[in-house]
Amino acid sequence: MTTLNVRDAAGRVAGPTAAADSASTGPVLTAIARTVVALGRALLIAVPVLLVSTFITFMLGGLTEQDPASLVLGDSATPADVARMREVFGLDKPLLLRYLLWLWSALHGDLGSSWFSKIPVAQSIAERLPVSLSVAVGALLIAVVLGCVFGILAAVRQGGWLDRTVTVVTSVLATVPGFIAAIALITVFSLLVPVLPSGGWVPPSAGLWKWASFLLLPSVSLSLDAAADVARQLRTGMADTLHENYIVGAQVRGLPGWRIVLVHALRNGAGPAVAVLGMHVPRLIGGAVIVETVFALPGIGDLTKTAALGGDVPVVQGALLVTIGVVLISSALVNVLLVKLRPAARREI
Amino acid sequence: MKTITGALRTRAGVIAATVLAVVLLLAVIGPLLAPYDPLKNSTEILQPPSAAHWFGTDYLGRDVLSRVLAGAPRSVFTAFEAVGIGLVIGVAPGITSVYLGRVYEWITLRVMDGLIALPFLIFAIAVAALLGNAVHQAMIAVGILLAPSFYRITRAAALNHANAQYVTASQLFGASMWWVLRTHVWSKILPTLVVATANATAGGLLIVSSLTFLGIGVVPPEPTWGGIVASDLSYLTQVPYGPVFPSLFIMATVGALNLLADAIRDTSGDYGRARILRRGASRVRLT
Repeated sequence: MTTLNVRDAAGRVAGPTAAADSASTGPVLTAIARTVVALGRALLIAVPVLLVSTFITFMLGGLTEQDPASLVLGDSATPADVARMREVFGLDKPLLLRYLLWLWSALHGDLGSSWFSKIPVAQSIAERLPVSLSVAVGALLIAVVLGCVFGILAAVRQGGWLDRTVTVVTSVLATVPGFIAAIALITVFSLLVPVLPSGGWVPPSAGLWKWASFLLLPSVSLSLDAAADVARQLRTGMADTLHENYIVGAQVRGLPGWRIVLVHALRNGAGPAVAVLGMHVPRLIGGAVIVETVFALPGIGDLTKTAALGGDVPVVQGALLVTIGVVLISSALVNVLLVKLRPAARREI
Repeated sequence: MKTITGALRTRAGVIAATVLAVVLLLAVIGPLLAPYDPLKNSTEILQPPSAAHWFGTDYLGRDVLSRVLAGAPRSVFTAFEAVGIGLVIGVAPGITSVYLGRVYEWITLRVMDGLIALPFLIFAIAVAALLGNAVHQAMIAVGILLAPSFYRITRAAALNHANAQYVTASQLFGASMWWVLRTHVWSKILPTLVVATANATAGGLLIVSSLTFLGIGVVPPEPTWGGIVASDLSYLTQVPYGPVFPSLFIMATVGALNLLADAIRDTSGDYGRARILRRGASRVRLT
């Protein structure tokens, strides 16, 4: 098993942890240093990942059979016009050079412009990113709350009716595609009991309550999958932890039950749940396209879908780059959280 | 063989296998069973379920049962296609990454990390749309995105056995790397792979239904389970139960696959019995 760990770590960025060096500077500094190092490492790992994934997305534009120049100019364009247009778009250069140029300007915040509307891609994304992010963050919060409440309750009352219900509901939720959950929520909360809007979007400046009411159904339908997974993992993790000797020890010492569960057991039993939550983060951002379609939200998934169907390559590339960036940053944050939660998990980063 | 019989001895395994058998049968002969022409419009629009139309009719008066049956092959087999591609791309690098040296290992790890970072649905939509909105392009994209999970699972399983004593022993006897892979490692990782494949097929079905729901990879009049739900969406106020029937087919298939995966995982036990399980395992992958 030792060899296994070494081999596993071989591909990652290896190096001495600063935590060990700063051990003498006091516990608080050590904790901060550890977090910074973990964050730095996670971001360092993200760089090659970002390069690979953006290269893949860029190749997409190169592989597409649509010729933007003739698409924009229409059928009546002469070959000379098309050739000039290709030059304007920079399509006369080799693909690899185009990728490097695109990456270079992307690093400076310039993602090019839409082939059709000529609107800068960065501007379209800046308009739509807040919508997607607020739905994703809302979904994340709901997933954590629902997952924790039901996971912990099921673990504490193992074998009880609540435990069995949670098991059944989470297994059923795993079979429901996101769009069906969204439609079911609309049917119940907008048609049968009309209390929430069935779709659309208002900015927070129009009133926080109004904003939240438009946000609630999309967030809930996006969160169900993650909530079910978190509840299941938390139940398993906590159920194991609650049988540990130190839990019995804490009970013998006369600590209140809620304290044992929420402080002692949760900290050690939450590892798998946090890891699963980390795996769900890309889905909360990438899966938002379904929710955005059903609820008619002007988000980044909707932008990508429309642009892709219209063959607007720069918009697709820019939107995918931003989405990947958000995914990588949030994964790094989850990894750091995992380290904070369980120092033993440090090795796995 | 023993994987299957073992899983079939549990009640969950029997239920899962029965549901899957029915779904597969529908996927093969479903279009022939359709009582009406699934593309033919009629004046009887948005009818509730009745003896003539078991699942009712949609907004163009088309029989929903016929559309569900006619859409079965496209909804089910496309998921198999994606999983097949994912298996091919993921498994081979997963096993070989343990044996072909550090550089190769590093490159495959980074490529798979890069693939994992791609937001699943959005990327599949982008690929499918930019490469000419057809179902096979969409499935190639989904297959590529499924590859990292197969890569990780096979790699983890292969790592477990790479340094086992009997592997070292056969290497000392002069066995070639390929022989070791074929005889020792491959049979050990098969049960894990079967479970992963069943789960991935369930995931693939969900993604395919989401894509067809969005209208990616299908031409409109052609029915798919996801597409039928989408066409009902604008008429929720008149027929709030509209999406129920196609949804039930999706959920039953996905649920049965997950149930089968659990049953196989519970009954196949440790890797040590894997050799006996080999033939049965490859049979599961075909279903």
